[in-house]
Amino acid sequence: MTFDQLAETCERVAATPSRNRKVALLAGYLGELDEANLVRATRYLTGQPLPGERKLSLGHAALRGALIEATGWDLETIRLCYREVGDTGETIGLLLHSATRNLPLALEQAEQDYLQIFAGRKSADRIARLAEAYLSYRPLSVKYFVKVITGNLRIGLQERLVEEAVAMATGHTAGQLREANHKVGRLADVARAAFRRELDQVAARIFHPMEFMLAKPIEQAPAIEDPAAWLVEDKYDGIRSQVHAGEGIVKIFSRGMEEVTSAFPEVCAVFAKAPVAVAMDGELLAFRDGRALNFTVLQQRLQRKQVSNDLLAEVPVIFMAYDLLHLDGEATPHLPIEQRRDLLARHLPAGAMLSPQKPLNSLAEVDSEFEQARARGNEGLLLKKKGSIYEPGKRGNNWLKVKRVFATLDVVITAAEQGHGRRATMLSDYTFAVRDGERFLNVGKAYSGLTDDEIRQLTRILRGSAYEKFGRVMLVKPEVVLEVGFDGIQKSPRHKSGFALRFPRILRWRQDKQPDEIDTLDGVRALYTASLG
Amino acid sequence: MPPPLSIRFSPEGIYLPEIDLWLDPRRPVAHAWFSHAHSDHASGRPTLVLATERTLELYRLRWPESTDVVQTLEPLRFGVPVEWKGATLTAWPAGHIVGAAQLCIEADGYRVVYTGDIKLNPPICGITTTVVQCNRLIVESTFGLPIYHFLDQTEARRRILQFAQETLAESATPVFLGYPLGRGQEIAHVLATAGIPTSVHGAMHKFLPIYEAEGYAFPGVEAYSAKNGRERALVVVPGMRDYLEARGDVRVAYVSGWAALANARTRANAHELIPYSDHADFSELLDLVAGTGAEQVDIVHGYAEPLARILRDRGYNAQAAIAQMERLEEGEA
Repeated sequence: MTFDQLAETCERVAATPSRNRKVALLAGYLGELDEANLVRATRYLTGQPLPGERKLSLGHAALRGALIEATGWDLETIRLCYREVGDTGETIGLLLHSATRNLPLALEQAEQDYLQIFAGRKSADRIARLAEAYLSYRPLSVKYFVKVITGNLRIGLQERLVEEAVAMATGHTAGQLREANHKVGRLADVARAAFRRELDQVAARIFHPMEFMLAKPIEQAPAIEDPAAWLVEDKYDGIRSQVHAGEGIVKIFSRGMEEVTSAFPEVCAVFAKAPVAVAMDGELLAFRDGRALNFTVLQQRLQRKQVSNDLLAEVPVIFMAYDLLHLDGEATPHLPIEQRRDLLARHLPAGAMLSPQKPLNSLAEVDSEFEQARARGNEGLLLKKKGSIYEPGKRGNNWLKVKRVFATLDVVITAAEQGHGRRATMLSDYTFAVRDGERFLNVGKAYSGLTDDEIRQLTRILRGSAYEKFGRVMLVKPEVVLEVGFDGIQKSPRHKSGFALRFPRILRWRQDKQPDEIDTLDGVRALYTASLG
Repeated sequence: MPPPLSIRFSPEGIYLPEIDLWLDPRRPVAHAWFSHAHSDHASGRPTLVLATERTLELYRLRWPESTDVVQTLEPLRFGVPVEWKGATLTAWPAGHIVGAAQLCIEADGYRVVYTGDIKLNPPICGITTTVVQCNRLIVESTFGLPIYHFLDQTEARRRILQFAQETLAESATPVFLGYPLGRGQEIAHVLATAGIPTSVHGAMHKFLPIYEAEGYAFPGVEAYSAKNGRERALVVVPGMRDYLEARGDVRVAYVSGWAALANARTRANAHELIPYSDHADFSELLDLVAGTGAEQVDIVHGYAEPLARILRDRGYNAQAAIAQMERLEEGEA
């Protein structure tokens, strides 16, 4: 079984909408592999080219640079092609059509190539080696060779499905695999243990980041059935992070499993004194006088590898802990939330903060808590289900984030833009306007909230009413009415209306409304005044 | 000395003033050449229409004789020159759909070829393109980017049949979506001649006699109705999709040039992508341009600007003839 066959299997996985069929196809492939290749294939399927902690760190510029070197196509043509395709790996594969030597590619050879590229000292070396790989193998294999580098195969294959396929291929239950993966957080290592039938020996490893558990957004409290089943916390507007600490060593990981340790020395100092080894989930916050500062303040710290003393004094950062992942060599995600919370409180080092949490008593309390959270400068609320476990990488029903719509407006679409990825050829991003007499003035832009089916229909309608085109953007006649919700209004020079909606999202397509029935600029002005409070 | 034929491009069509002839006009004119019978090329009621016989038959099905406008339809036979206002006009096969033709216009030994919509590789239904030597070429570029690579007709047939057979074997209904003229008949021909019971949409069914006159068989093909839609392959227009899905387990194949890109799966909401087209893919376009030996190339429809640039990089005198809003009309690609 080769990388070529992996690429072919991935094509079939992409072609089937059935979850079970995806898993079965993949398991059929993985089941034929020996240990080393099972580990490699699992790594590739989860978007990791290199063994261990190493990152390939090749950006789109390098991937394109190698394509220019390999094919001679100019950057303008490549950009245009990418715009139509919406995926770097696929674009590169298509542009290599009948230009390669079509050599067979083994899973091991792919790893050697990745390592070779990784070992290139200068950027030009890495690009030259990458170009060599492009020209060596079948275009379909190169497509996936590149997709692995970009970290996302984009074939409708979440890690959960790969997990199930590894389970099926090695004769385990999905539950056994998942449990082990919760401890380790790296599926390739779990696959190795599964192959050796040593899943029971898999232990949590500190200093290896675990996938974060995610919260599902809800707009309104009535989405919760039984208030008494929930715990409530503030939702912070900081940097979601894990701190791993033990024996004087501290590592901080942010979303995307990036290590950001050196940017936050004061947090390291706090955790360096941790008496037992711990890994905690929480939020890095710029914090002064008992409250979190605006995220834009915190951003100044994020880009820095080394932090000056001035900046440390100006933007002090704390770690607001809210969950426990490891304790003293044991993984804790399988413990119920109350127990994790109890252990977290007891092992929190001095200088770190514990996110206040309390039981929810009634639906009405969601409203009052939300207002208070906002008054404290936080973004909203998190509701966490009593008795729930920590589910790494999952956006399920056990954590909910309450983001409140500040108000809604009926608006009309004035421009539409092509989306990305699987929405690449559809018009999925809409600029919208309110009415001011006979004029329509833009107030924002949104892309989420509609189903693929609705977007497909709208794409047809909007193409038909387009009157001008600039690159990806089409100006359309103001005909399609949407209802949008948003978190606030601010003054903005970006739009002609002079206002911009914050975090607008599409609530529904109002096919029952005409453009002359939408909200007016006066209405927006009134909402803005009201928001000043 | 300037060439004896000049060409004017406008959103209303292509016009040759010296011989007072419009090519695929989009407004009422006196004299028109229709390259093929798709509605974005053959529409309206010119007083005189030049086209191949099949194209004229297909055009008449859509634009029946009218008492208000008296029209003369003048059939051209492939390879047979006719005199026209001091020039010679010759139709040559374009492979795109049944009846599709290129027009070669010659005056004082100077030749202009207008391809209309064209496919270079042999089509499933239609006559394989003749590459015509010329001085100036007017060519389309629907798929004029190097990402478009299509299956040849043998492989396309295999994939169409495989999808239909596998889907029927799982007791689901294979559905092929297509515009009324061209692709639909090709798919129905492939399915029916392989013995797969097939129903086609009424809008496609009405063109079958013309395809049959051209020598393509459709054994057992019926016009779709709610009664004969079970255990058969269906070839229908995209608008019927929701209705069919509501009636049972359907799986949709998208046979199109756009199916060369994975995002067509979401865009067409298709289970199976079969990248086969009645247009030339990128390498066919390059081969066609090179084969004609044209000194000057004008590009219309599609990726005109980028293809013109790519051709200029290869030493051609090429320009985008119409600054069109790309893809606003997807045509009958």
